[in-house]
Amino acid sequence: MRGLIKKDLFIIKNNLRTLLIMFAIFAIILTNGNSNIGFIATFLSISIMMSTFSYDEYNKFDAFAVTLPNGRKNIVASKYLATILIIVISTLLMSILTILMGIVRNNLNIEEIISSGFGCLISVFIVQSIIYPIIFKFGIEKSRIGLFVGIFLVAGIFALISKLGIHLSDSTLSILNNYGLIIFSISSVVIMVLSYLVSKHIYLKKEF
Amino acid sequence: MNNAIEIKNLVKKYETSFKLGELTLNIPSGYIIGLIGENGAGKTTLIKSILNILHIDRGSIKIFDKDYKKEESLIKEDIGVVLDNSFFPEILLVKDIDSVMKSIYKQWDTELFYNYLNDFDIDKDKQIKALSEGMRKKLEIATALSHHPKLLILDEPTSGLDPVVRQDILNVFQKFVSDDKHTILLSTHITSDLEHIADKIVFIDEGQIILEDTRDNIMDNFGIIKCDEKTFKNIEPSDIVKFIKNKYDYEVLMKDMAKMKKKYANYIIDKITLENLMILMIKGENI
Repeated sequence: MRGLIKKDLFIIKNNLRTLLIMFAIFAIILTNGNSNIGFIATFLSISIMMSTFSYDEYNKFDAFAVTLPNGRKNIVASKYLATILIIVISTLLMSILTILMGIVRNNLNIEEIISSGFGCLISVFIVQSIIYPIIFKFGIEKSRIGLFVGIFLVAGIFALISKLGIHLSDSTLSILNNYGLIIFSISSVVIMVLSYLVSKHIYLKKEF
Repeated sequence: MNNAIEIKNLVKKYETSFKLGELTLNIPSGYIIGLIGENGAGKTTLIKSILNILHIDRGSIKIFDKDYKKEESLIKEDIGVVLDNSFFPEILLVKDIDSVMKSIYKQWDTELFYNYLNDFDIDKDKQIKALSEGMRKKLEIATALSHHPKLLILDEPTSGLDPVVRQDILNVFQKFVSDDKHTILLSTHITSDLEHIADKIVFIDEGQIILEDTRDNIMDNFGIIKCDEKTFKNIEPSDIVKFIKNKYDYEVLMKDMAKMKKKYANYIIDKITLENLMILMIKGENI
């Protein structure tokens, strides 16, 4: 499994120039006053992971990977682990960047950075959890539409929650205020584990 | 004699009408086995079934006497694979493969891998996509060999390569089996390659094995007569395995050469090539 994670990291490393340009563009947007780092780290890590699927598919890596020891199981597990790795790294990078800019601009708000960072982690967990089984079933090229559906679904759910939030009782609100982060974190982890099991099931049956 | 691969009553169906099998095949260890047949005959389906890339519908496949369903991972430690058109993402560098494979195969041998790269003149710092087609194939073969596999399974490893590169690769294969413990199963439609290196030929057509024998038996046993219509009519129908009627002459496939050479002493019976055999077996008519 470590080998396959390395393979994804090499893809990212060898594609670093493109990614740095993307990062730079985001950083410029960021300095223009919009400090929504959650959105940027989310978008960055999703694109990075999607690119590894695209490179795999272009050279039909899956059939070859199946011939490796424990190939089928490892390719699924390694994608999920690589995703977690990438999302943590990009969230950290973005947070550091925001902190630096906060210091420069003298408007540092650590609390906002932390909640934004967690928001990013949770939303990528959920988006990827929805689309990975689709990718493993149909391949990345056919799943792009699924990606958009996934993002809209998540955005929709959050929008719905925030709308419904108006009608929440004070006690529920205080629970959300105090434990919201924990509740969301735990449920996103649960969703990801479920997603992994579904993907594995799909992949073990798949033919190439 | 031990078998590297034992296939029993294998059936693999597709949603289209194509069906592989039912077929039974033993591949003895220490041999080079050539799988021939026209495009779509089932060569790749058979190879992918053996590798569990495809799931078979019926039958059983054992490798090194191990059950595929129970010990797949163990089996795959000992197999080296070159597939037609399926390899690492081409954005990787050549040396990245070493780093990845080191973490995958217990027996991965970095030194051996770099030795092959040296022998094949492959630059380790290049991206895979910067390599020519021949170089890429050589890299795939080097990769397949560098964890000391006991069995090499290769789908069309020499297609699209020039004769010089092909010869290099065939030499590597021959060296690989020279100690009798290593086995190669390779499919190809460049049948002349097999005339040089294969010990045994398995001929597949429409999902069935239609001929399976040692190369020497096939080459000694089959012969071909090219003749005009008059001569053709003088040949006893029971001696004709298959024939093709061309515009100006007939090509007649015969079996049991020792006997035929005596019986038809006046005719010139040529030695068969695998290519001729393939064409006659597939396109030829029965009398």
